[in-house]
Amino acid sequence: MKLRKGPLSIFQAEEARQRDDDDEEESIIKKESRRRKEGRKEGRIMILAVLFANSVGNVLIERFNGVPAEERLTWRSFLVKLGAENLKGVKNEELLVACHKSVYIVYTMLGDVSIFLVGKDEYDELALAEAIFIITGAVKDICGKPPTERVFLDKYGRICLCLDEIVWNGLLENTDKDRIKRLIRLKPPSEF
Amino acid sequence: MDLISADPTPVPAKSSSSSASASASSTPSPAAASAGSHVNQPMSTKTTLGEKKSKRATLMQIQNDTISVAKAALNPVKANIMMPQRQRQKKKPVSYTQLARSIHELAATLDQKSSQKQLVNHVFPKLAVYNSVDPSLAPSLLMLNQQCEDRNVLRYVYYYLARILSDTGMSPGGGIPTPNWDALADIDAGGGVTRADVVPRIVNQLTSEASNSETEFHARRLQALKALTYSPSGNSELLSKLYEIVFGLLDKVADVPNKRKKGVFGTKGGDKESIIRSNLQYAAMSALRRLPLDPGNPLFLHRAAQGVSFADPVAVRHSLEILSELAARDPYSVAMTLEKLASPAVGALQDILHLNDVLARVALARLCHSISRARALDERPDIRSHFNSILYQLLLDPSERVCYEAILCILGKYDNTERHGLESSFRSFSRPVLHAAARVVQEMGKSRAAAFAMGLQDIDESVHVNAFSDVLDDAETNDSSHPEGIRRTSSISAGPGRNETIASLLASLMEVVRTTVACECVYVRGMVVKALIWMQSPHESLDELKSIIASELSDPAWPAALVNDVLLTLHARFKATPDMAVILLEIARIFATKVPGKIDADVLQLLWKTCLIGAGPDGKHTALEAVTIVLDLPPPQPGSMSGLTSLDRVSASDPKSALALQKLVQAAVWFLGENANYAASEYAWESATPPGTALMMLDADKMVAAASSRNPTLAGALTRLQRCAFSGSWEVRIVAVQALTTIAIRSGEPFRLQIYEFLYTLAEGGVQSQLSEMHLSNGEDQGVSGTGLGVLITPMLKVLDEMYVGQDELIKDIRNHDNANKEWKDEELKKLYETHERLLDFVSLFCYIPRAKYLPLGPISAKLIDTYRTKHNITASSGSTDPTVLATGISDLIYESTQPAPAASNSSGLDDDLVNAWAANLGDDGLLGNNAPAMSRVNEFIAGVGTDAPDVDEENVFSRPSVGYDDMWAKTLLENNELEEDDARSGSSSPDSTGSVESSISSHFGGMNYPSLFSSKPSSQATAKSSGSKYQSTYEGYGSPIREEPPPPYSYSESQSRESFENPMAGSSSRSYGSDDDEPRKSTVTRFGTALYDFTAGGDDELNLTAEEELEIEYEVDGWFYVKKKRPGRDGKMAGLVPVLYVNQS
Repeated sequence: MKLRKGPLSIFQAEEARQRDDDDEEESIIKKESRRRKEGRKEGRIMILAVLFANSVGNVLIERFNGVPAEERLTWRSFLVKLGAENLKGVKNEELLVACHKSVYIVYTMLGDVSIFLVGKDEYDELALAEAIFIITGAVKDICGKPPTERVFLDKYGRICLCLDEIVWNGLLENTDKDRIKRLIRLKPPSEF
Repeated sequence: MDLISADPTPVPAKSSSSSASASASSTPSPAAASAGSHVNQPMSTKTTLGEKKSKRATLMQIQNDTISVAKAALNPVKANIMMPQRQRQKKKPVSYTQLARSIHELAATLDQKSSQKQLVNHVFPKLAVYNSVDPSLAPSLLMLNQQCEDRNVLRYVYYYLARILSDTGMSPGGGIPTPNWDALADIDAGGGVTRADVVPRIVNQLTSEASNSETEFHARRLQALKALTYSPSGNSELLSKLYEIVFGLLDKVADVPNKRKKGVFGTKGGDKESIIRSNLQYAAMSALRRLPLDPGNPLFLHRAAQGVSFADPVAVRHSLEILSELAARDPYSVAMTLEKLASPAVGALQDILHLNDVLARVALARLCHSISRARALDERPDIRSHFNSILYQLLLDPSERVCYEAILCILGKYDNTERHGLESSFRSFSRPVLHAAARVVQEMGKSRAAAFAMGLQDIDESVHVNAFSDVLDDAETNDSSHPEGIRRTSSISAGPGRNETIASLLASLMEVVRTTVACECVYVRGMVVKALIWMQSPHESLDELKSIIASELSDPAWPAALVNDVLLTLHARFKATPDMAVILLEIARIFATKVPGKIDADVLQLLWKTCLIGAGPDGKHTALEAVTIVLDLPPPQPGSMSGLTSLDRVSASDPKSALALQKLVQAAVWFLGENANYAASEYAWESATPPGTALMMLDADKMVAAASSRNPTLAGALTRLQRCAFSGSWEVRIVAVQALTTIAIRSGEPFRLQIYEFLYTLAEGGVQSQLSEMHLSNGEDQGVSGTGLGVLITPMLKVLDEMYVGQDELIKDIRNHDNANKEWKDEELKKLYETHERLLDFVSLFCYIPRAKYLPLGPISAKLIDTYRTKHNITASSGSTDPTVLATGISDLIYESTQPAPAASNSSGLDDDLVNAWAANLGDDGLLGNNAPAMSRVNEFIAGVGTDAPDVDEENVFSRPSVGYDDMWAKTLLENNELEEDDARSGSSSPDSTGSVESSISSHFGGMNYPSLFSSKPSSQATAKSSGSKYQSTYEGYGSPIREEPPPPYSYSESQSRESFENPMAGSSSRSYGSDDDEPRKSTVTRFGTALYDFTAGGDDELNLTAEEELEIEYEVDGWFYVKKKRPGRDGKMAGLVPVLYVNQS
């Protein structure tokens, strides 16, 4: 005997409303506070993901921070889909934006490569735009121009090092080009 | 030199099969195969021990997995890095193993320049594709780290060491998913080195490097520290080590009084020493930021406060971020620490305003925000004013990020300057800027809504909402004229101007939506729409908003998630401002009509529900209208497609959206049925129309007219539902019929009659030809009864029939009594009451009704039922207040509790469900005759509650060994809340079987200390029928103390007149407890009285009285005494009813 499950009717709801509302609100509040707590516990990771993909949607580089392993695949496919749907005919470095609940996504196209950044809290669309600007700048510097996939792969190692200097443990670190350049050559950030 | 050979297509791809196969297809498969075998060779030679042979299979498996990933990752690369001369093998992919081997070998031959070149140019970059490297590489990496001088090599070495540290084994951080190196090591794939072996070594080496204070070494020191922070924070030992290093470093570099003041030339200036110090400060601060914050540790605060004055901008940013986090927890101590820095005289914080680091300024804004509104600082307005002033300066920041952060921080305290900033943002071409600006406006709207909700009509008054953050300002000036603050204009002068700015803000917002040039991004537009919804004031026209949304939604680019998100925004807006229910529902209607395929029925129902409950009397009608509009949606157009079946039509149009619409319509119909009465405020139990009136309006047209004049809302809902019962798909029709029944049961006349007539004709099937030709178009098998709904409707009709029959009889009885001028006897009342309860039970099976108030026999029965209740001390409200019903829902109760009883009855190990099915089918067959047995299952399934057809049949119930709702309920009550005081639901007569009635009553009254005649004679029943045996077994099953023996002497029975409860079915069944009824009632607490006057009995149960006669008063009922004489009177009667007024109580 399967019974249809529907939302409470008003009749039941009226009486259960108070309780319901409380529950609902309580759970929202709880969730929110839990989320905040977790955020703190997780060491304030806020750039959730940096992802490079090629024009056909294969992932070239990805760096997830504080994203559970089981969610990564979802994010991966979501981002690639987002890119496939929206990045056609977009100019180089033109920024696109999306958001999902409280998570922001900024992405762009650079040569044959699309770059996605996912962030939350402090890293909202503008902060991510800032970060993606630095990343694209670094990639351009390394490759000399908006890279084809080939060039990108040629410089793969150095791009990884750059990324390592720009996004460190989920937080934006170095923003200055020269500084990044020095750091990936193992030179101190400020030269004397 | 090329890293990846000539073929540009291939990619370091993911393990996801699609991409892997994609790149695999671009790779010549023979090459891949040969690579596989090639790689396997060295590995297998390693496993020389015989015992390891068994592991080899596993090893190969993992190895192959790794290779396939690697293959996907690195397509044709020069086959052998070690031998560049073999260019002809260019196409061969490089495996991870090859790379690893190269590292080992190159590390050994590090002295050669070519080795370093190899490493930097080939091996390391390729290895980067793997997100992490296996631990067995660590020794070589550490060796490189110690011996190599080449900076580029070393940089890579630090990179990989950090990757090894961060790799937790199970969850690679990205890139090519790495195998679980530890697992591989276990079977000797990695040379027997596990992370556990190498991590301490790496940590040790990095730690010693991080502590190396040699000047020349400090760049490496930085990297070593950085690599260390990658290790997972779970390791407390490592963590304390890191704290030690970082704070030790800060001890050395941070305490030196600020050198920057000397070299005013910024970071370029200064001597070598101070630059090195600043670099180390940077490293230490960055590392500290990555470490878990320990608010209890004063060192954090101390060092972070020092960090504000560091020369390195990134270090300053990190210090500010740490400070702002600390300030969120303990604003007081942070403010005290920063007191000096914040004051304009020192100006360290002011300097940050000019720092070329956006995030540093954002952190500053947050810091200032949390300090300036901290209540803990109420006594220190001076400090707060410093921070406030910085915050206002940040409003003018050239970076939108900083500006918006500041706006959000001071939200509610409006200033025109920021609006101008926002408006110019709306002219920006950057989507992130637009999106962020819209988000800020949305936040503004939220705070506006909050201000309205607080009863503040004017937004600027919201200053008072944040009053505590303004004490400072208010302290300076009086309340009426707002302070100049830092840069604020007085609100009085800004009054009209403010409204203008809001209007212009909205105008520019709308412009954003319309000018799709810069803004083809739906997310931006979605955010703008949300902002508009929040900014929409309850008193303004919403036409523009509506048209915007309507035009937006016609864009197919909107993803469903976003649409639902906007709907939820509506919901949130409604919760904030219930006045706007009508407006919001109208907007929601647009969603339902424009994009039925994209919205989630649950979300829509949530919105409807909230609005219906929250809306005022006017709102309810609109709310319901908004629901019904869904039903008018065009797509499944009946009539237009005459020959085509509905299936064809669905596939012809967009099947997905057609299906979605179908579900939406179903949801709407269901919602309508459940809630129409609420919306229309029409309840049977509050209806004033006597049933007789309705019966006189049998003319259908008159009825409809009467109905719609009486309650247009409900009439409208009914019309729509009736239409749905014809024209929808079969799912919709079923739901519609159920909805109609629900309304019929819940509404008073004439609605009930109207529905009854409709259902009746529907069941007959003849109505369609008169009412519509729609059935022609829906192309489904109409079934024997024409609509295919007959099976479903019959039980519903039966209930209504029962109700009307009951009402008729009641009216007849009342007339009889009136005409004969007779009083109601207890027996009659009891019979009436039992009918009442029985009908209640039937009705409860279809929908929820408040048992206490509901009168299936019409309002006319209220008085009589009440009489009976008071006489027998029955609390009527027990049903509706029972928490279990509310919590689990009636339906759940039925379902859950149906199971144990049949199992008990058969005890033959039959499957419960089977037994249930059998029981149900038996009843069905008996009842409906023409039903296929399976039909009832289908009905149950489709209908959910209450279409369990046999429940409504009177003639067949006795032979049906199943348990009913009340029985179950009784048992649940007995089990769960035996102590429930007011559970005197004496009328819990089950419609299903006498057995269950008995058990329910006995359990009730057993629990309630009521004497029950049933409980005293179970054995006779048990042998009598199958239901009896079931009854007995359930009896046992529930461990009732009463069995085979008379009820224990209940105290209650001592103080009350003894009552017998008749089987509700007794009147029509063979079972009779007449003898019980005839038993004279005894009373232990007897009152006495004398007859005042002569009285002549008017009926059989009345008693003749002679004045002055001595009487024993048994009980009182409704103005009558049941009295006993000492000796028989002229008529020979000893006891009977007499009017109270005739008796003088002594």
